[in-house]
Amino acid sequence: MRTSAHGAAILAGLLALGVPLLGQNAGTPSGPGLDLAGYWVNVFHQDAGLATGGGMIGDYGGIPLNEAGRIYALSWDASRMTVRQQQCPGYVVPYFYFAPQSFRFWEERDPYTQTLIAIKMYTQTTEQTRTIWMDGRPHPPAYASHSWSGFATGAWQGHILTVHTTHLKRAWLRVNGVPQSDAATVDEYFTRHGDRITYVSVVTDPVYLAEPWIRTVDFVRAPRDPASWLYACDDAEQIVGRPDDVIPSHLFGQNPYLREYSEMRKVPLLGALGGPESTRPEYVATLAAATEADALPRLRPAAGPLRASVVPDPDPGDRQIHVWPVQGNVYMLVGDGGNIAVQIGEQGVLLVDSGAGRLSDKVVAAIRTLSPKPIQFIINTSFHPDHTGGNAPLRAAGADPSVIGSFFSTQFADAGRGATIIAQLNVLNRMSAPAGRPAPTPAEGWPSDTFVQGRRRKYHNGEAVEIWHRPHASTDGDSFVQFRRSDVIATGDLFTTTQYPLIDVKNGGSVHGLIQALNDILDRTVYKAQEEGGTIIVPGRGRVTDEWEVAEYRDMIAIIRDRVQAMITANATLDQIKAARLTVDYDTRFGATSGPWTTDMFVEAVYTSLMQPPPATAGLR
Amino acid sequence: MQRLTGVLLLTMSVGLSGAMPAAQGRVGGRGQLRPTPKAAAPFDLTGYWTAVVTRDWRFRMVVPPKGDYAGVPLNPAARAVADSWDPARDEAAGEQCRSYGAANIMRVPGRLHITWQDDQTLKIDTDAGTQTRVFSFAATSAAGGGWQGTSAAQWEVLPGVRGQPPLTGSLKVVTTRLKPGYLRKNGVPYSAKTTLTEYFDRVTQPNGDTHLIVTTTIDDPEYLTQPYLYSTNFKLQADATGWAPRPCSAR
Repeated sequence: MRTSAHGAAILAGLLALGVPLLGQNAGTPSGPGLDLAGYWVNVFHQDAGLATGGGMIGDYGGIPLNEAGRIYALSWDASRMTVRQQQCPGYVVPYFYFAPQSFRFWEERDPYTQTLIAIKMYTQTTEQTRTIWMDGRPHPPAYASHSWSGFATGAWQGHILTVHTTHLKRAWLRVNGVPQSDAATVDEYFTRHGDRITYVSVVTDPVYLAEPWIRTVDFVRAPRDPASWLYACDDAEQIVGRPDDVIPSHLFGQNPYLREYSEMRKVPLLGALGGPESTRPEYVATLAAATEADALPRLRPAAGPLRASVVPDPDPGDRQIHVWPVQGNVYMLVGDGGNIAVQIGEQGVLLVDSGAGRLSDKVVAAIRTLSPKPIQFIINTSFHPDHTGGNAPLRAAGADPSVIGSFFSTQFADAGRGATIIAQLNVLNRMSAPAGRPAPTPAEGWPSDTFVQGRRRKYHNGEAVEIWHRPHASTDGDSFVQFRRSDVIATGDLFTTTQYPLIDVKNGGSVHGLIQALNDILDRTVYKAQEEGGTIIVPGRGRVTDEWEVAEYRDMIAIIRDRVQAMITANATLDQIKAARLTVDYDTRFGATSGPWTTDMFVEAVYTSLMQPPPATAGLR
Repeated sequence: MQRLTGVLLLTMSVGLSGAMPAAQGRVGGRGQLRPTPKAAAPFDLTGYWTAVVTRDWRFRMVVPPKGDYAGVPLNPAARAVADSWDPARDEAAGEQCRSYGAANIMRVPGRLHITWQDDQTLKIDTDAGTQTRVFSFAATSAAGGGWQGTSAAQWEVLPGVRGQPPLTGSLKVVTTRLKPGYLRKNGVPYSAKTTLTEYFDRVTQPNGDTHLIVTTTIDDPEYLTQPYLYSTNFKLQADATGWAPRPCSAR
């Protein structure tokens, strides 16, 4: 009795002091906290049918889509999901809380201080683990890889958990083709009331949304383990015999399913097309008076100038060289034009490309932080100066011990005194000139070891390195380089995350060959799970990524190719094709209206390619 | 002994809920007046707020077809009522405001004007349907029976940790004594037995945008097979821009 009364008094005293009890975490250096741990399921009393079915084609009401987002969605064909890489993707943060699934939350705390390090979450449908860092760590640089779950940091706004997420993969906001770009960020708010969490998501996407998109959804606590936590998905050939450059999409104004939603649900077509105005109370009156004619202009790109990308280049542009670990023995150097891939090991440093040559001293210094071994090999993926500009200084900074002391040294006094530069023969041809004629680049930077076969191979630093020449892609001399043990592919100009592909028709490039080259890359990638991880891609420019975004890039080029081809078939002129804004749904991500490679130049290169007989571009198989 | 047991029960109750109702303006332990609900507000709800309609868009921005009650856990009796919806009948009966009752008014596209009516009473005016909700922090003997029923309010705050002041909390509002109305404009019914429980929270984005989040639970033993859950968001406006009072419409 005495003990009981004493205990009650202590309990009351604790409360009076503000010490939280059940349902609350003890105060930690990370914040006051609310306990989200446990199993939760989302409730579909809102937007019933939309979440479980992903939305009907043409159901975009209440989404503040801009023109690019709307045209992308209207062009999206559900058959796109039969494309191999589209079959098993994960869910991005702006989508997965609104998808039908259960969640499991738990905390990660420092075992010695009990400081909250992270709140973790596992999603049922796609086997994803999401980490919300609570320890104040910074977000990674822009050239780091993106993921479905992104990089999330959390803090407390009173009793509300706030989360900011960046580094998301390009994906969908709805499974009916409404796009989300990889520039999207999300601000989230978790509020708990008893056994219910109210979740608020605000998506900001400068590429596809005209303004931030706020939504709410509710989760309720599941008293028992939902038990079904796995996602058995493996891609397969769903359309037997379909060439892998066929990417289903609808031409502008030709989506045959567009009106199904508006007719079935009695929603004016104008409203179904969404836009920021569709979220405002005043829009009720607009809809009441809306006619079919009001919607028709929104089904195609509006006349007007092309738009440039709104996404900053991941290269900080600070005249510094930034080192980023890619995977295994491979690193990426960012900052001197095209990316440089660095493979290190016992034998010597192997580089894929040498950058623009403006910061070569800093490139050498950065390499020295990774390895004391000499720069032994430089592989050029292209002759373009972004990839070869540093050849001469980096060669001079290196040495090839495999040649020094060999029979070459009896013939060439400088054998091995400098790195060996490897490239397909056409790279040398484009950089040099016949005897007696002025060469476009100094001889010190020319490849010294050329090849003409489709596959050049080398075992270096304990792993197989394969150099795959892809004819008639960006140029006639492009290669991509595969590190088999590290499971990394450096693509050169065949793939970038920053611009439309540089198709240098005058130097042997073609859109056919480029798409084939991308498919060849995809034939050599293996994802770890849900189109994520596994083989990592170092692009010619931009950030580290994986096969998902190579596939998306391939899809984009194939779709634009088909649009150009349709206009050619309809006897349109090049000027008419350019004026049709056939790239409108990608321009805010990849477009350029000035600089060395503009959207106009890309469209013209596609047109020129299509007007020529397709070059022989047999794939790797 | 009895007194200690009572303390224990109180503390257990508070501990289990994880939140404490804030003081209601009574005399404190040392003879000091506790702050009024208005003074004790852990966050400011007042101002003009506009609905940002991004969820249940097709049910809110247009009048859905008769029989489209997807997502609402209706029982057969409720479906029968919904299937007999006739807006002309409602108009003839002067009941155009059936979808503007408390159980749905926050879902109607429009703006809110939130003010303190007095130290104990928070008031929400809506321009859509020109309705007024009154949230009373003090005990009320209001008879209810109108579209907005009777609403009892309290602040739910988490106690501050180790002597720190209370965290920003939520406003909890329980509304009963409602006149039967519609959960959706197309005649999806709720009954007079409905209990509406709402939590009001305020969040601020890094860019300064501030949102009011209303978490709603509707319990209706007459028409629902389980509680109906939804949440609604409003954005804070700098002024009364767009405030346009207009009458109820049955269509």
